[in-house]
Amino acid sequence: MMRAFVARRLVAFGATMLVVSILVFVVVRVLPGDPALLILGLEASPEAAAALRTALGLDRPLPVQYAEWLARALRGDFGRSIQYDLPVGGLILDRLAVTAPLTLLAAVFMAATALPLGMYAATHHRRPGDYVTLIVSQLGLAVPSFWAGLLLVLLFAVHLGWVRAGGFDGWEAGLGPGLRSLLLPALALGLIQAAILTRTTRSALLEVFQAEHVRTARAKGLSERAVTWKHVLRNALVTILTILGLQLGHLMAGSIVLENVFYLPGLGRLALGAIGARDLPVVQGVVLCVATVIVAVNFAVDLLYALLDPRIRYE
Amino acid sequence: MARGARVSRAPVVLAVLALLLLPGLPVAAPPLPAGHALTVQVTAEPPGLDLTATPASATATIVFYNVQEGLVKVDPHGRLVPWLAERWHTADGLNYTFFLKRGVRFHNGRPFTADDVRFVLDRARQPETRHPHAKQYEDIADIQVRDPHTVTIALRKPNAMFLYTLARQGSVMYPREAVEQLKSQPVGTGPFVLARWERGDRVVLKKNPDYHAKGVPRLDEVTFRFIADQNAALAALQAGDVDVAYFGLGPESVDVVRRSPGLRVVVGETTNDVVLALNNSRPPYADVRVRRAITHAIDKDEVLRGAMFGFGRILGTNVDALNPYFVDMARALPHDPGRARRLLAEAGYPNGFDAVLKVAPQYPYTVRTGEVLVGQLAKVGIRVRLEQIEWGQWLERVYRNADYDMTIIGHAEAWDAGNYANPRYYFRYDSPRFQEVFQKSETTLDEARRRALYRELQQIMVEEAPVVWLYAYPRLVAAKRGVQGIWKDLPTPSFDLSGVSWAR
Repeated sequence: MMRAFVARRLVAFGATMLVVSILVFVVVRVLPGDPALLILGLEASPEAAAALRTALGLDRPLPVQYAEWLARALRGDFGRSIQYDLPVGGLILDRLAVTAPLTLLAAVFMAATALPLGMYAATHHRRPGDYVTLIVSQLGLAVPSFWAGLLLVLLFAVHLGWVRAGGFDGWEAGLGPGLRSLLLPALALGLIQAAILTRTTRSALLEVFQAEHVRTARAKGLSERAVTWKHVLRNALVTILTILGLQLGHLMAGSIVLENVFYLPGLGRLALGAIGARDLPVVQGVVLCVATVIVAVNFAVDLLYALLDPRIRYE
Repeated sequence: MARGARVSRAPVVLAVLALLLLPGLPVAAPPLPAGHALTVQVTAEPPGLDLTATPASATATIVFYNVQEGLVKVDPHGRLVPWLAERWHTADGLNYTFFLKRGVRFHNGRPFTADDVRFVLDRARQPETRHPHAKQYEDIADIQVRDPHTVTIALRKPNAMFLYTLARQGSVMYPREAVEQLKSQPVGTGPFVLARWERGDRVVLKKNPDYHAKGVPRLDEVTFRFIADQNAALAALQAGDVDVAYFGLGPESVDVVRRSPGLRVVVGETTNDVVLALNNSRPPYADVRVRRAITHAIDKDEVLRGAMFGFGRILGTNVDALNPYFVDMARALPHDPGRARRLLAEAGYPNGFDAVLKVAPQYPYTVRTGEVLVGQLAKVGIRVRLEQIEWGQWLERVYRNADYDMTIIGHAEAWDAGNYANPRYYFRYDSPRFQEVFQKSETTLDEARRRALYRELQQIMVEEAPVVWLYAYPRLVAAKRGVQGIWKDLPTPSFDLSGVSWAR
């Protein structure tokens, strides 16, 4: 049963990727903007631009370009970057070495802050602690993460001098320095997203607290602690997990902005630069990579539902 | 920019708190690095490091003069000086003989000779090599190697820009065997060798121990870091992570840097002329009275104050102050709204007209300048709607297809009056009179006569007002106080590091 479900999801996964790849391919080419002009700039002669377009293979029909790209992509070759003159696959892997740890670290900060805070607020419903949590999380909702990042830089790098203002020297420089470089951006990203998760956790728990089985559990004489951990949390986790899954996508998107503020050579900056330069092979590769991650996370969340809630069966 | 989002008060409160608290905290002077290494912030990553394939200033900033050099060099004052050619000679203005400096070696160890000069210039003028400015070399008829250190270049006709062309970044010398690697690993004769380019992050240059000029370079290693965000660049400078912010500083940050201990700002001139371009092929801009009216409607002093914090130099024509033939025309068509309204009425627009002004937020000065202009033009009845478009789209729509009414952009190239003699350029300015004088100036070698022709060109620009020349963008470089030898002005798009060093 489970195996059939996984197989079906894998087919859907492949189909999603195909549709995404076609969409991206069409969209980046329909966008006005010519890579040749972006490379040659304001003094370019029309002849030079036309020659460069031909050299880049951009003057051929779209379906031909797509078919060639797809054939090579299926063999793991995502083409060469126009701007960098390097294979796209390698570029993406290099950048994932920054963005993946950044996103994960932010997710850890987010979960480690939001879950306890949300639980605290729910168990102290309508008491001062609850209101303080609500106010703090309201702040988090209102502050954009790039701005939080800038404030952290001003405080910890410029004024206190504890960390550098940004940059990443690569994992070759060691695990410690690498994590140090990611600390502030992960904090800015994770804490802001934690605001949403805190509120979700709180309201999910509060809802379950009012459910009948909780009243039964209390009537049985179970301690409040046992009620919360055994009967409430487990039931609320389905909702929390759904939001968490969605937020992983947000974290990846948010890293684009923070990589810019902290000038980290990550996937987001690669994408931003590639869109600006109309480096089409790179844009396609990055979007496909991010789409894969997001679809995969959704897939994992779906599987976890089944583990958490015995009523959910995949038939 | 989305402006529809509901504004919450919390960020405002936080911002006020931060602004109140942060400046009060003590800022330590950034530490000076040990040894002879320099870290430089630049805004944009180069779209490849091949100077013969891209005219991008992001490439020239790093590679030009540092990794690769030409026969002739532009000095800090914009004058041409001998470089890889130690002297040259011409008797007739058609045949130029260059005597090459001896003892010059490429980074790969091979001596630089006259054969390399011939190869490089031959390659530049062949269309299939896709040199972005192949046209600049089309007057070359023949290149003769006399001996390993002497080469004669024969021109088809006199070309007043020929020596200057040899000083451009597209004319740098490289060894034939390195052609395939120019884009990612350029080889030249310069004071620095390219050590590595970490895509998306930095370019590292190392000292060339075998450099042909004595006593330079004085730095052992230079790292260019790509930091696009202005706030991030400023923070990196204040935190001491970078020693020089080369392009990262906007005019709004000058005051902050000046007040920071241990930092200073180099303020100078550039050849980057910021213009309000008008589509001369479209009514009402096809009418010279309308174009002059627009010029009279604009208060350039206010533009400079409002958009540039007073930095920059007001322009009257395309010829900027770093050009030897510069004539100050800044006040030739003065701010005079009354006259602007009369000219509009004469041209048949007593009630003004509607216009769309396209700007690219990638260059924040274009948006800020546009915002000031919208108000000024409204006062004479020209109702302007500011439209922000992405840079790639700007190039496609405005630059390539001339699908625009008005736009604002900086033209960074020096000696670019030829754009106004090209009716296909996106200004769509087609003036036989201007074209004739310009062509004459290109083939006139006599200094006094050429100067007179350039004076005439500037006069025609004022009279025909094809665009509104607003201001020359200021050169603003922020650096730690210990860094010396940074050029004050920017007559050519290189960050020449050969003379840069740390003060003892």
